[in-house]
Amino acid sequence: MSVLRPAIRRLAKASIIDARSFTTSASRLQAEPLQKPALNKEFKIYRWNPDEPAKKPTLQSYTIDLNQTGPMVLDALIKIKNEMDPTLTFRRSCREGICGSCAMNINGQNTLACLCRIDRDTSKDSKIYPLPHMYIVKDLVPDLTQFYKQYKSIQPYLQNDNPPEKGEFLQSQEERRKLDGLYECILCACCSTSCPSYWWNQDEYLGPATLMQAYRWIADSRDSNGAKRKEYLQNELSMYRCHTIFNCQFSNLPEGTQPCAAIAKIKLELAAD
Amino acid sequence: MSSSLILRSSLSKSILKRSIFRSSMQGRFLRQATSDRFAYVPGGPIYKGTVNDPTTFPPPSKTHGSYHWAFERLLSAALVPMTVTAFATSGTNYPLFDGILGLSLIIHSHIGFDSSIVDYLHPRKFPVIGPIIRWTLRAATVGTMVGVYQFNTNDIGLTELIAKVWTA
Repeated sequence: MSVLRPAIRRLAKASIIDARSFTTSASRLQAEPLQKPALNKEFKIYRWNPDEPAKKPTLQSYTIDLNQTGPMVLDALIKIKNEMDPTLTFRRSCREGICGSCAMNINGQNTLACLCRIDRDTSKDSKIYPLPHMYIVKDLVPDLTQFYKQYKSIQPYLQNDNPPEKGEFLQSQEERRKLDGLYECILCACCSTSCPSYWWNQDEYLGPATLMQAYRWIADSRDSNGAKRKEYLQNELSMYRCHTIFNCQFSNLPEGTQPCAAIAKIKLELAAD
Repeated sequence: MSSSLILRSSLSKSILKRSIFRSSMQGRFLRQATSDRFAYVPGGPIYKGTVNDPTTFPPPSKTHGSYHWAFERLLSAALVPMTVTAFATSGTNYPLFDGILGLSLIIHSHIGFDSSIVDYLHPRKFPVIGPIIRWTLRAATVGTMVGVYQFNTNDIGLTELIAKVWTA
């Protein structure tokens, strides 16, 4: 066996050169890849299982090597689910901040897990909770039914019974510019669930995300139902529970939208009515 | 040409249908009262209707909506120059001004406390303690108004009192 080995090596060398591989020499090919040292970080993740309703929600701890993980928190979650605990439940879809599925509370801030970098400081753990003050379906999955019902209530579609004679609705550049910062919202619910008013009065108060969409249709020059849309908000609960706390602005919004500014503009328009 | 005509007529028909549908929807979105149709269960589900039904709005009222908001903001803004003026002048020389300042402060506080009650102790969630606390606040506000009026007419008045405490 030991006699054969040099011959095999020579053969292998010849075939490598014949194959014109990327590595220029056999020693390069056979070199061990540079091993990064393990960078273990602890993740504490909120767990609650509806199949065991008597058991209280707990924080479960997972330690993973950051050098074997992608840069974002979502990468860490997927790694944990793939390799350590397949029962860990969370929503994710696009992994690039456009679907809004992976909205959760990471280290005390509502944000999208796919856009949130893992803090590489291993001395501190990373805490991951679902969106605050929502009913929980399982683990990191909040029940967004009420949020969507509220979104539906503002009738988020163009309403105009007098379409132009021919062609399409035309907008001036200024009119179009009014919708910038409004239409980008992906309804991830990060802003609404960071709002204390929304926590206490979720059943009646619409919350920043829905109110911003209400303004998106009030501000649209093509829409003719603005008066009705404004009238719906004329009560003490639907919009006026906003006390300009500004939490919605400081939750890490993926699209750079400004719900605070939108609500302030609705209030001004209603006051000027 | 004919196909586009057919398309157009069917389009206008669908628009008509939609507008009828919409007017029927509009009634559905509004609701008669905030709380009487659905009892609030503390800690229970907050969904009303099926998951596909939109939430409804309380009946519109400008008094509770924009008028209230505008009045609250204007009053708050007006209190700033009023307070500054109270520092510059003396309440004994301008009793009317002292009275207006006292009244404004009380109404301002009333609106603030009332807002907290709507936030945290709304009658739809607290059918017993909610109305009790609301009427307690109203009684306290009226009581304070009477007290401040008595104090302003029969004693040194609010501004003088604060000036005295300030230098004491």
